[in-house]
Amino acid sequence: MSQSLRPYLQAVRSSLTAALCLSNFASQTAERHNVPEIEAQTSPEVLLTPLTIARNENERVLIEPSINSIRISIRIKQADEIEHILVHKFTRFLTQRAESFFILRRKPIKGYDISFLITNFHTEEMLKHKLVDFIIQFMEEVDKEISEMKLFLNARARFVAESFLTPVSLICPQTRPNSQVDVCLSLTKRTRRINKQSICAASSWLVEGHDSDALRLAFGEHKRIMITLSSRLLLWLLQVVILSNCRRLTIASKGNTYPEFEKHTRELTIRFLSLA
Amino acid sequence: MSIIQQHTAASLSDAWRTINIDALEEDSSVNFDTSTLHPALPEVSEADVRQINIQVRQLLRGGDAEGALRGSLEMPVYNGSDLAKEAHLHTVIEVLQSIKASEMTPMLQRIYGTPGGSECLDVLMKYLYKGMAATSAADGNSSAPRTPTRMTPQQTGFSQVGGRPGGANESTGGAMSVLLSWHEKVVEVAGLGCIGRCMTDWRKV
Amino acid sequence: MATPEVHHLFHNPIADHSFSADRKTLAIARDTTVELYGKVGSAFKLKDELKGHDKTVTSVDIAPNSGRIVSCSQGKSSPAQNTHRNALVWEPSPQGVYKPTLVLLRINRAATFVRWSPSETKFAVGSGDRVIAVCYFEEENDWWVSKHLKKPIRSTITTVAWHPNSVLLAAGSTDAHARVFSSFIKGVDARPDPGVWGERLPFNTVCGEFMNNSAGWVHAVAFSPSGDALAFAAHDSSITVVYPSGPELPPRAIISISTQLLPFMSLIWNGEAEIIAAGYDCEAFRFKGGAQGWQLSGTLEAKGRPGLGEGREESALNMFKQMDLKGKTKDDTQLKTVHQNTITTLRPFESSGAAVKKFSSSGVDGRIVIWHT
Repeated sequence: MSQSLRPYLQAVRSSLTAALCLSNFASQTAERHNVPEIEAQTSPEVLLTPLTIARNENERVLIEPSINSIRISIRIKQADEIEHILVHKFTRFLTQRAESFFILRRKPIKGYDISFLITNFHTEEMLKHKLVDFIIQFMEEVDKEISEMKLFLNARARFVAESFLTPVSLICPQTRPNSQVDVCLSLTKRTRRINKQSICAASSWLVEGHDSDALRLAFGEHKRIMITLSSRLLLWLLQVVILSNCRRLTIASKGNTYPEFEKHTRELTIRFLSLA
Repeated sequence: MSIIQQHTAASLSDAWRTINIDALEEDSSVNFDTSTLHPALPEVSEADVRQINIQVRQLLRGGDAEGALRGSLEMPVYNGSDLAKEAHLHTVIEVLQSIKASEMTPMLQRIYGTPGGSECLDVLMKYLYKGMAATSAADGNSSAPRTPTRMTPQQTGFSQVGGRPGGANESTGGAMSVLLSWHEKVVEVAGLGCIGRCMTDWRKV
Repeated sequence: MATPEVHHLFHNPIADHSFSADRKTLAIARDTTVELYGKVGSAFKLKDELKGHDKTVTSVDIAPNSGRIVSCSQGKSSPAQNTHRNALVWEPSPQGVYKPTLVLLRINRAATFVRWSPSETKFAVGSGDRVIAVCYFEEENDWWVSKHLKKPIRSTITTVAWHPNSVLLAAGSTDAHARVFSSFIKGVDARPDPGVWGERLPFNTVCGEFMNNSAGWVHAVAFSPSGDALAFAAHDSSITVVYPSGPELPPRAIISISTQLLPFMSLIWNGEAEIIAAGYDCEAFRFKGGAQGWQLSGTLEAKGRPGLGEGREESALNMFKQMDLKGKTKDDTQLKTVHQNTITTLRPFESSGAAVKKFSSSGVDGRIVIWHT
């Protein structure tokens, strides 16, 4: 892995060092202005040939040099949709704080995930090789960051899947399919510790038809939300609520229809995944 | 009475707001003639490129890799059709791929030492960057960022096999690593000035 | 080799610097002011600030004999506010106070570079307006007026340099061309002797136009001490030396040296057979040669100076880790060169005849360094 990364970063480093030869240059188009020529694009002769450095089709860097500024755009490796989402969130987080990063551009160039804009004023007050180091370090850290986030997410997903699926498979055969139950769910501000045993106990109450007792067992007395569900899905819901330790779960559904509920479940799942 | 006598379709729409008025003025810096930034370049046709390719292949088969490299770099396609440029890029990459890693540096040093060798390496550098740009651009067109349009439980992306690019990626990765290691060797021999000349030069391959 | 004399003045870029003839006064272009430093002991102390520009001062030059200072800036003259602040000539009074004199440049963009002619009756101002304003004094109105060198300039003038005869003017521009013009002004200049650059030289005669194959903005131009050769440095990391053979004839030799280094920002001749150039590599390099050929002969920096070298030991693991992860071998915040950022200007400091014994350099790092050649 590092073996193929090294020549890539080396190529980026040397290209950047060669491109970061900037000087103060006043605009030829607008009087009394001094703008980054690579952004203004008003004088073709002060723009240089852009350079692309690619490691493979998913990882590449575009360097667009000009007389007083250069623009560096990075395409970060994204092997699947999860990485795509993570990269998007991550770069968005950074670009929203662009002013703290000095050289970060607020919007990436099309086809790339993140762009930097370095002007002659940056090279005047900062050491050039340190600027290059920053870009290189960023490229290297961002890969690490994304794969760490992905690993973490996968671990969490596995945990959820395990604890979610086991009890359901145990209980489901005993539940009457598609039976409708009115449930009062209540979540107190304090997170309630409810273990798997109490869910099993609650479900056995349900099977015997003592719905309200079952819920009381699981959630206590406070009533906040009314929903009507099939018992199988209810149990699923209970699992989610409990496992997520969610304090501010809100479910509002007046219709008793199955599709309505499915929509909520989906929302729930998503929220659960992003919160847990 | 309004000072605007007539409303025309053109004055009512706001298309005129987006006109780049600098471009209309002949004397403006926007209209700089970039053809003044390079000497007159001879035109190279696709037939010439094929001819070079045949010669280069013969040299390669004969075991003269250095001659092949020189041959492919001494006739860069500056002024030619896109197809001719593309074809010559393939010729160059073919030569580069056939040279062993251990032979790169000595060969580059020999070329750099000869008259006109510095120019040769500048051309090589241009082809290295073009090679990297061409392969990644081709990908950029075919598969735009994979944005999931619908978030369904089945498609949350947890599957490890889901979006993995196939074997094609591995091969371009391989081609890239050849270009990258050449890039490193060329910089060692011809310095950063070589990269600088790739940027300033308006004779583009 | 004697160690260079380093004066670290401040932490801002020095756009340009100029020493007075007695080398006791130093003018610095810093941000929007021209700062005058006086020599106190072995150091330079700030003694005056010339404030008259409202935009970044790009260039400053002290005339060696008259002591007049000319400076120019990126702001343009705006007749509406009656502020003509693109270029100013600072006239010294006997009390040592400088008074600005008006210069009618008639340009609408930034002024980028200014130099007095050796005769000190004219100065040339390069500009982003794609003209060079050649200025001379008009007695009756008490101001400096200008004539424009316009054709065939197509882009910003980055640098100008005078021929010893004060008529020929070399200019480099971002259209990648170095050109030689005649700036002959009737009534100011004596008719020049015919030379290798041309015989009759009316104003705006183009005596030469040169470009490298690999183009690149021209950052510096300089005539050799005799005036019979022209050197220029361009952004393609090259130095080109042109030997003209006479009017209307192709040059005898054009020698272009493409280096392995980063581009040069400034160059000076030391006699006819040596050129010293410096730029983005933060150190000065020596070139040697003649009409037969030129080559890079080395750096002027004394390598392995104590105190700056290998600062601290690093663990082998850390070193390999750095090499592996970042593709670099050393982690340091200080360059090994004397200048810590791009060198923008080189000027002869002390000469005997055509040979330069000492020269000064200034850079983006706010340092002035005086070197022995």
